[in-house]
Amino acid sequence: MGEKKLVIALAGNANVGKSVLFNYLTGLHQHIGNWPGKTVEKAEGTLHFKGYTIDIVDLPGIYSLTTYSIEESISRRYIAVEKPDVVINVVDASILERNLFFTLQLMELETPMVIALNQIDVAKKKGIEINIDKLSEILGIPVTPTIAVKGVGIFRLLEKAIEIAEKKVKPKKVEYGEDFENAIKRFVESLSNIDLPYPPRYVAIKLLEGDREIEQEVVQKNPNIIPLINSIRGELEGKYGHSCPTLMTSERYRVAGCIVKDVQKIIPPSKPTLAEKVHEITTHKVFGYLLMSAVLSSMFLFVFVLGNFLAELLNSILYGLKPFLTSILGAGFLGELLWGGIIEGLIAGATVALPYVIPLYLAIYILEDSGYMSRVAFLMDNAMHKMGLHGKAFIPLILGYGCNVPACLACRIMETQRERLIAAFVATLIPCAARTVIILGLVGRFLGVQWAFALYVFNLILVFLLGRFAFKVLPGEPTGLIMEIPDYRLPHLKTVLKQTWFRLIEFLQIAFPLIIAATFTVKLVEELGFLEVVNKLLSPVTVMWLGLPKGIGISLIFGVLRKELALIMLASLLGTGDFSQLLTPVQMVIFTIVTMFYIPCVATIATLVKEFGWRKAFIITISEILFAIAIGGVLLRILRIVATLF
Amino acid sequence: MSLKESENTGVPLTALKEGESGIVVSVKSGYGKAWGLKKRLMDMGITPGTKIKVVKSAPFRGPLEVIVRGYRLAIGRGMAEKIFVKVECDG
Ligand SMILES: Nc1nc2c(ncn2[C@@H]2O[C@H](COP(=O)(O)OP(=O)(O)OP(=O)(O)O)[C@@H](O)[C@H]2O)c(=O)[nH]1
Ligand SMILES: [Mg+2]
Repeated sequence: MGEKKLVIALAGNANVGKSVLFNYLTGLHQHIGNWPGKTVEKAEGTLHFKGYTIDIVDLPGIYSLTTYSIEESISRRYIAVEKPDVVINVVDASILERNLFFTLQLMELETPMVIALNQIDVAKKKGIEINIDKLSEILGIPVTPTIAVKGVGIFRLLEKAIEIAEKKVKPKKVEYGEDFENAIKRFVESLSNIDLPYPPRYVAIKLLEGDREIEQEVVQKNPNIIPLINSIRGELEGKYGHSCPTLMTSERYRVAGCIVKDVQKIIPPSKPTLAEKVHEITTHKVFGYLLMSAVLSSMFLFVFVLGNFLAELLNSILYGLKPFLTSILGAGFLGELLWGGIIEGLIAGATVALPYVIPLYLAIYILEDSGYMSRVAFLMDNAMHKMGLHGKAFIPLILGYGCNVPACLACRIMETQRERLIAAFVATLIPCAARTVIILGLVGRFLGVQWAFALYVFNLILVFLLGRFAFKVLPGEPTGLIMEIPDYRLPHLKTVLKQTWFRLIEFLQIAFPLIIAATFTVKLVEELGFLEVVNKLLSPVTVMWLGLPKGIGISLIFGVLRKELALIMLASLLGTGDFSQLLTPVQMVIFTIVTMFYIPCVATIATLVKEFGWRKAFIITISEILFAIAIGGVLLRILRIVATLF
Repeated sequence: MSLKESENTGVPLTALKEGESGIVVSVKSGYGKAWGLKKRLMDMGITPGTKIKVVKSAPFRGPLEVIVRGYRLAIGRGMAEKIFVKVECDG
C-alpha cells in the first residue's frame, strides 16, 4: 500500500538552473548564483507529487561525461552506476549547441530522460527561437520549456518525467558519421561476451574515445581486446589526422550543430543590450579595475552604514530591556548564572553579530546573482597567477568575505589538488562575516570607518603575500583559466532575499547555541574563580607580547569556536557594547588583527579536514595561529614607535 | 614553403587581434594535467573546424575573452597559446 517511489536526477551544464529547479521541487536551499560551478557535491531532497514519493538529486554542473574533474566523476558515477529512474537534463536554451553536446552523451548512456529547456526567457531576449516539437522529435525525448526562477513549466516537466520513468522509455540512438558507426559496431561485436553494467554501445563509444576508466574495466575482463582497440583507433586517426578523443568530441559537436541548425532561429537584437554594455565596461582594461575597487569598497560601506544603524538600534532596545529582565530572574548565584549565560549571550550576539551579518550576506548574494563573479575572475587572472593560481580562485576569496566554509568548498572549481589547497588556505585568511563584525563593530565603530577600511586593505596585502609564500612552499605550474562568462542579469530579488534569509537562519542555528553555551561557560568559570587562572596563563602572550588587557585571554579562546564570539564575549564580560571603556585604540587594532588571522573557526577547520585531511588542516591552523601572534606583536611595537613620533 | 606551413598549422589564438576571428585547426596538448585541459577546451566546444572570435585580450599576458558557439568564454593566455587557428580573411 506504500507510496510509489521514484528517483529523479538533475543533470546538465554548469549554471543552467539545476539548483533553482531543485530548490523549487524540494523546498531546500542549495547555493544559487550566476557563475558556473556552485554545486560541487550531489544533494538530495524529497518531493511528494501525485501519490509518488520522489527522491530528487541535484548534481554538479558539467560539460562532459568524462572523468577529468571531480564534478564529472560524481555526476557520471551517479547516472551510470546508481541509475536514477529518470534524468531531467536541464538545458540552457540560450546556449543550445553546447548544452546538446552534453545531452548527446546522456543519450549514449541510454538512461530514461526528459529535457527541461530552461531559461527560455533569456533565450527569447537574445532573439533565439527554438522549435520545441521538432527538437523533441529528433532526440526522441520529451522537451518542456521552463523558466525555473518563476516556476513556469515545472508541473508539466514533472508529469513528463514520471511518465518516462514509469514506461522506462530510452532515448533514441544517436547516429554518428559512417566511419564512427562502423568502428562502434566492431567494438560492440567484440564486447558481446563481456558483462558490464553499461549499455554495449556506450562502452564502444567510450573505448573509441579513449576513456581510461571504461577501458580499464573492459581490458580487465577481456585483455584480448587491446589489439582491436589499437587497430580501430589507428585507422580513424590515420584517416582524419587527429587523435580519437578529439575526433569523437568533434563528431558529437557536429551532430549537435546539425540539430541546432534544424531547430533554432536567431534574430539578434540590433542594438547591444544593457547587459552587454555593462559587460564591456566591467571587463575594461582600465575601468574594469577601477569599477572593481569601487564595487568592493561600496559593498563594505553599505555593510558598515547599515550595520552601524542596526547595531545602535538593537543596542538601545535590548540593553534597555536588561534591567527588566534582570528583575524577573532576581539576583543570587543561579540568577547570575542564568542571566550571564543565556540572556547576556543572546543580547550580545544579537547586538554585535546580526547587524553586520545581514547586510554582508545580502551584498554578496547580489554580487553572485548578477554575474559579476566571472568578470572579477577574468580581471584577476593575472594577479592570481602570482600565487600559483588562476582567476577562478578569486571567486572563493570573495565568497570568503561571507563565510569561509562555502569559500573552502568553492575551491573545488580549481583544477588540481595543489591549487585547491592554496586557494583554501588563502580563503581562510579572508575576514568573513564574523570577523567583519569585529572589524566594523570594534575598529569601524569606535575609531572610524577609514581605519576599518585600512585593515581590509592591510589584510588583502598580507593575503597576497601569504599566498605567494604558499606558492613557494607548494610550487608547480599553474593551470590555465577556462571559464564560461555567463550573461549579466538583474539579480533575482526573491532568490537573493531567500538565500540571505536561509543563510541567516543557518547562522542563528549554529551561532546562538554556541554563543549561549560559551557565555554560560565563562560565567560558570568566573563564578568558580577560574577565569583569573586562565587569563593569567595566557597573559605572557596576550599582555606581554600583544599588549592587550588581561581579561581578553578567555575571549580569544572562544573566538576559536566562532570568530565573532571573541567580541561577543568581551561585550558580555563588560556587560555593555561600549568597548572604548576597556580597550585603547591601539589595543582595538591589535585585537582585531589577531582575530583576523589567528585561526580558522571550528567550522572552517572541519571543512578543511573534510577537503584536505587532518594533517593539512592542522598545519594551516597552527601556522595561522603563530602568524597572527607574530604579526600582532610586531605591529604593536611599530604602532608604539609611530605613536611616540606624534 | 613556410607560408604554406603556417597555412596548414595556423597561428596561436593569441596572435589574433581583438575583434578578429579564426577557425580552429588544432589544440596542442602536453601530457598529464595539460591533457585534461585540452579535453576541457574541446568539451567546451573548441574543436577543429570551429569558428572562434577574440573579443578581448587582457593586457600584461592576461586572459583572452572569446566567443565560441554562441557563448562567452575566458581562456588563460597559456591555454590560448595552445589553440591554433587559421585567420578568417573573408571579413
Ligand atoms: N532568467 C532566468 N534565470 C534563471 C533561470 N533558471 C535559473 N536562472 C538563473 O541562473 C543562474 C544559475 O542557476 P543555478 O540553479 O545556480 O544553476 P546550476 O545549474 O545549479 O549551476 P551549478 O551548480 O553552478 O552547476 C542563477 O542566477 C539563476 O537565478 C530561468 O529560467 N530564467
Ligand atoms: Mg547548482
